[in-house]
Amino acid sequence: MANYPYQTQGFTLNNSGRRVVVDPITRIEGHLRIEVNVDENNVIRNAVSTGTMWRGLEVILKGRDPRDAWAFVERICGVCTGVHALSCVRAVEDALGIVIPRNANIIRNLMLSTLYAQDHLVHFYHLHALDWVDVVSALSADPRRTSQLQQSISSWRNSSPGYFRDVQNRLKKFVESGQLGIFANAYWGHPAYRLPPEVNLIAVTHYLEALDFQTKIIKIHTIFGGKNPHPNWLVGGVPSPINLDGAGAVGAVNEFYLNLVRDICEETIEFIEQVYIPDLIAIAGFYKDWGFGGGISSQNLMSYGEYPIDPGAHTNDNLLVPSGVIVNGNLNEVQDVDLKDPEQIQEWVSHSWYKYADETKGLHPFDGVTEPNFVLGGNTKGTRTDIQEVDESAKYSWVKAPRWRGLPMEVGPLARYVVAYARGNEEIKDQVDGLLGRLGLPITALFSTLGRTAARGLEAQWSARKMKHFYNELIANIKAGDMATANTEKWEPSTWAKECKGAGPCEAPRGALAHYIKIKDTRIDGYQAVVPTTWNASPRDPQGQIGAYEAALLNTPMADPSQPLEILRTIHSFDPCLACATHVLNDKGEELVKVKVC
Amino acid sequence: MSETYYELFRRQGISRRSFLQFCSLTAASLGLSEVGAQEIAQALQTKERVPVIWLHGLECTCCTEAFIRSSHPLAKDVVLSMISLDYDDTIMAAAGHQAEEHLERTIEKYKGRYILAVEGNASVADDGVYCIPNGKPFIEKLRHVAKDCHAVISWGSCAAWGCVQAAKPNPSGAEPVHKSLRGLGKTIIKVPGCPPIPEVMTAIITFMITYERLPQLDLQGRPKMFYSQRIHDKCYRRPHFDAGQFAEKFDDDGARMGYCLYKLGCKGPTTYNACSTVRWNDGLSFPIQSGHGCIGCSEDNFWDKGSFYEHLPTILPPGWGGIESTADKVGLTAAAVTGAAIAAHAAASVVKQARSKSSNDKLATKE
Amino acid sequence: MEIEKYSGRVLPGPIENIYVYQAPVRLWHWITVIMMLPLAVTGYLIGAPPPAIYVGGEATFIYVFAWIRIIHFSCAMIFTIAFLMRLYWAIVGNHHSRDIFLPPVWSLNWWKGLWDQAMYYLFLKKEAPSWVGHNPLAQIAMFAMFVLGSVVIIVTGFALYAQQWAWGDGWMALFGWAHVALDEPQAVRTLHHLMMWYLLLFSMVHIYMVFREDIMGKESVIGTMVDGIRMFKAKEH
Repeated sequence: MANYPYQTQGFTLNNSGRRVVVDPITRIEGHLRIEVNVDENNVIRNAVSTGTMWRGLEVILKGRDPRDAWAFVERICGVCTGVHALSCVRAVEDALGIVIPRNANIIRNLMLSTLYAQDHLVHFYHLHALDWVDVVSALSADPRRTSQLQQSISSWRNSSPGYFRDVQNRLKKFVESGQLGIFANAYWGHPAYRLPPEVNLIAVTHYLEALDFQTKIIKIHTIFGGKNPHPNWLVGGVPSPINLDGAGAVGAVNEFYLNLVRDICEETIEFIEQVYIPDLIAIAGFYKDWGFGGGISSQNLMSYGEYPIDPGAHTNDNLLVPSGVIVNGNLNEVQDVDLKDPEQIQEWVSHSWYKYADETKGLHPFDGVTEPNFVLGGNTKGTRTDIQEVDESAKYSWVKAPRWRGLPMEVGPLARYVVAYARGNEEIKDQVDGLLGRLGLPITALFSTLGRTAARGLEAQWSARKMKHFYNELIANIKAGDMATANTEKWEPSTWAKECKGAGPCEAPRGALAHYIKIKDTRIDGYQAVVPTTWNASPRDPQGQIGAYEAALLNTPMADPSQPLEILRTIHSFDPCLACATHVLNDKGEELVKVKVC
Repeated sequence: MSETYYELFRRQGISRRSFLQFCSLTAASLGLSEVGAQEIAQALQTKERVPVIWLHGLECTCCTEAFIRSSHPLAKDVVLSMISLDYDDTIMAAAGHQAEEHLERTIEKYKGRYILAVEGNASVADDGVYCIPNGKPFIEKLRHVAKDCHAVISWGSCAAWGCVQAAKPNPSGAEPVHKSLRGLGKTIIKVPGCPPIPEVMTAIITFMITYERLPQLDLQGRPKMFYSQRIHDKCYRRPHFDAGQFAEKFDDDGARMGYCLYKLGCKGPTTYNACSTVRWNDGLSFPIQSGHGCIGCSEDNFWDKGSFYEHLPTILPPGWGGIESTADKVGLTAAAVTGAAIAAHAAASVVKQARSKSSNDKLATKE
Repeated sequence: MEIEKYSGRVLPGPIENIYVYQAPVRLWHWITVIMMLPLAVTGYLIGAPPPAIYVGGEATFIYVFAWIRIIHFSCAMIFTIAFLMRLYWAIVGNHHSRDIFLPPVWSLNWWKGLWDQAMYYLFLKKEAPSWVGHNPLAQIAMFAMFVLGSVVIIVTGFALYAQQWAWGDGWMALFGWAHVALDEPQAVRTLHHLMMWYLLLFSMVHIYMVFREDIMGKESVIGTMVDGIRMFKAKEH
C-alpha cells in the first residue's frame, strides 16, 4: 500500500489532518470503530473502519451435524435473525441435493419478506432516524400544525392534534425528569439537523408507534418458526406442518394462524405505506441537498438475488429480485455472479487480524482459511489492550476484505435496487422513478447516504406487498391440495453422499449473504459465511482499495468533528451488523495460534 | 420532580380505574394476590425511574431484539417510564466519546443504585482482544461498570452460560458473566435463553422496580418464577407424550396432528423455561407449538449436548459409525460381544467336561 | 469344615452344608431380579418410544407412555429401597452379606483365590477351589458391575426424576449435584441409559455363570439363593 496521500477508486486519501475516533458506533448491531482524518475545513479525507469483535463460529461448527448447523449460524446475528439460518439450510440442501416442497419455499419467502419489513422499519426509526431527527426540537412543535402536516402527507389514523399533544407532553415530562436515558448526551441542536419542529414531532411519534408495531409484524415468524428472535428452521423444508381441517388441526398451521398472517400482512402494508414512506419522503425533502456518503455505490454494487419463485434454483429466471454485479457504475451492463467460481468471490486478510500463508492472495470461501492473528501496526497509538488510534497501514480489523474479481463491492437494499433497476425489473423501476420524481431528483441521487436510506424504505414497501403476495400463493397452493412442508427423504445421514459441498445464497436485509458448507462422513468438514457487513465494512486490501464504509465517509464535511453526527448518518445508512461480519472460520480446524504484538 | 407511572398513565388519558386494572392484571400474571396489585399500583405512582446500564459483549443482539418485542409492557413504556436506560449501544442516540462520557456520569451519579444488564459475554483468551469496543478488552469495561452496580442481570444464554461462542472449542475464550465478575460479590440474576422470552425480560425488570427486591432465584441464579419448571411440565402436547403418541418424522401424520416431538429430539424434558406457559411474541406460540422441538436454548451449554434432532446424545466420535450411534448401539454391541463370549465359554466348558468324563471313563475301564 | 479367612475358600477337610444367604439377602436378590426386567424394558422404551399405539385417540384418556413411565418409576423406587435395605443388611447381617460390598482387596489369600478362579475359568486350571460365599472373581464382578452400576443408575435416575423440581427444591436438592458433576442433564441421561446396558451385561454373565456353576461346579448355586443353604456336592468318585 502506498503512503499517504494516495489515490484509490477515484478518491484521494490523506491522513495529515486531525484524527477523530468514534468508538463505539452506537445504534448498530455489534461493535464498530470508525477513525477519520479531517482537513482544516473539517472535511473527512481519510476513513478507517474497524470491526472490534470476533467469535469464531465456523471453528465451532466443524465436526457437527449439518442438520444442526442452522441453529448455530442463526446466532451469528439476532437482528437480521433467520437469514443465516436460511442461508445455511440452503447450503446444506444444495450439498445434499434436497428440493424443498412448494409450501416450504413460499413460507420461507414469507418469513424473509416479513423480516425485511420489520428490520427495515426498526432500522429506519430506531437505529437511523435520530441521525436526522432532533428529539429536543420536537418539544417546541405546535401539535395543531403537526396534525395538519401529518394529514397532508398521509391518511394515517393517528393524526389528531390531541394525539400529538399527548406524545409531546409525554416527551416533555420525560425530558423534565432529568433522566434522559437513551436520549442522553446526544447531538440535539447540532447544526446538521434541519427538520422543523413539527416534522421532528411526527418522526418521534412514529419512533414510538413503530416500536410497538414491529412486535406485530414479526409474529409471522412466531407462527411458522415458534419464536422471534431466532425462529426455527429445518433442512428439507420448514418445521411447521399444515393441517387445515383434519384431526388435530389445532396442532399445526391452521385457519386461525393463516387469518392472523393475512391481517398482519394488511397492517404491515398499511403502516409502511401510511407512516414509513410518507415520513421518509418528508424527511428526505429537507435533506435532499445533503448528497454525501455515496462512496463506491456509484461504482460497484452486487446482489445475489432473492425470493425463488419455485423451489430450487437460485437463478435469475427463478428469482423475484435479480442477482448481478455492476462494475464502474455501468448500469447498461449487469454482470452475472457465481458463488462457486473460485475466481469471483475471494477474501483478503492483509489488513485483517487473520493469517494466510500468502497474504498477497485472496481465497475463495471453499478454500478459506482463518487463523486469528492480532497484531498491530507500528504506528498504532496506545497499546494492544488500550488502542487509541489504529494503524491502517497494517492489520486493523476483525473484518476480512471480500472482493468480487478483486473489486470492493457495496451490498444492501441500494445495491439490490440498482441491480434490479438496471436489469429492468418493472415493479422496482416504478417505485424508484416514482420516489425520485416526487423529490425531483435524478437517478444519481441514489448514490448517497440518503439514497441508501430511501432504497431501504422502498424495499420495505415492496416487501410488505410481497408478504401479502406470498400469503396468497400459500393459500392457493394449499387450496390446490398440497399440504407438504418438509421433504424428509434425505433426512437420515445414511442417505447422504460420503463427501459433498454446497453454497447457500441469500439476500439478507443488509445485503448479499452466502454460506458455504463442506460435508464429509455425515459431519461438517468446513464452513464459511461471507456476509453483507463483511463486504460493506471491509478494511483495505493489498492494493490499498478501501471498503464501502470507508469510501462513503470520504469528502463529507463535518459541522463539528467532536460531534460526529455526519459519520453516524452515513455509517447507519448501511445498517451495520458487526456480529455478522466478524465471526469467521478455520476451515482446517487447526489450532488457533497465539497472537503477538509486533 | 420526575414523572411517575401513574402520572404518565393519567396523562395518556388512562383512567384511574384502568390503571388499577392494569396493576391487578400485572399482579395476576406474576401470580400475586390483590395485595400485590395494590403494591404495584403504589410503586408505579411514586418511583423515580431506576437507572439501567446495558452492556454488549460478544453477542448477536438477539436479547435487545427480544426486549423490544415485549408486548406487556411495551418496550417503549419500559424505556420511557419504568427505567432510565442510560446506556445501551444498540439504541442510544449518543455515540463514541459522548456515549462513554454519559456512561461514566451515570456510574458516578447513581453509585450503588444502578442495575447492570449484560448482553453477551467477555472474551478472556489472548488478553481479551477478541472483543475490544473502544479499543479495550470488554472485560475491563464489564468489571468497571459492575463494581458500583446494585445488581447484575445476565441477559440471555451468552451472559448466563457462554452460549454459542463458548461452544467447543470456544476459540475466543468467551466466558459467562458470573465468571468475569468473580470476586466483586455482586448478585447476578441469570435470565437465560437464546434469546430470553421478551415478556420474561420485562417482567423481571418490573418486578425489581416494583418490589424493590430481587426475585427469588434458584440454585443456578435464575428467577424461580420463570425457570423452576421444565417446558415439558407445562407443554400442551404433554398428553400426547403420556399417551405415547409421537411424531416420527417432520411433516408426518403425527406432526400434523400435533403429537409429541420427543422422538424428533425435543429438549423440552430437560429445559427449564417458561416457553410453554408465557409463550412467545404476545403469547402467540412457541417452538414446540410451531412444530419444531425445543432445542434447549436456555440450558447451560446446550450447543454441546448432541444433535437437536436426537433424543439421546451421540457419544461416539465420528467415523465410529456415524451420527446415529448412540448409547443403544454401544449397549447392543457390548451385549452381542458378551453373548458370543458366553456361548464360546459354554461350548468350551462342555468340551472340557466331556473330555474329563471320557478320561474318567477310560480310567474306569482300565480298573 | 475349615474356611480360609477373607477369601472364603473351603480348605481341605470334612464337608458340610452351610447357611450362607440370610433371608433378607435372598429377598433382596429376587426383588431386584423382578424389578430389573420391567425397568430395562420400560427404560429402553422411554429412550426409544414405540410408534403410537392409538393414533387419533383422545390423548387425555390414553396413558401408554405414562404407564411406561410410572412402571419405570415405581420399579425404580422398589429397586432402590431394596438396595438400601440390602446395604443395611450388609452391616448387620452375616459376613457373607458383606461379600459384594467390600471385596477384601487387602487380603493376599483373596487375590490368590481370584487368580485360581480366573485360571479355572480360562481352562488353564482343571479344578476350581470351593467357596462358601461368592468366589473372589464373582465378588469383584458383583462389586464393580452390580453394586457400582446400581449406585450410578440410582443416582442418575433420581437426578433425571428430580428435573420436575426447580434447582434446589425437592428431589433436585438431593440429586441436582449429579447434573453439576456431569456438567449437563443430557450426560446424566446418557450415563443412566448406558448403565442399563452395563447391568444387562452383568446379568448375562451372572446368569450364565450360576447355571454353569450349578451344573459343573462343586457347590449348589441356584438353590442357595432360594433356601440360603450352600450344599457341597460329594466327589463323583
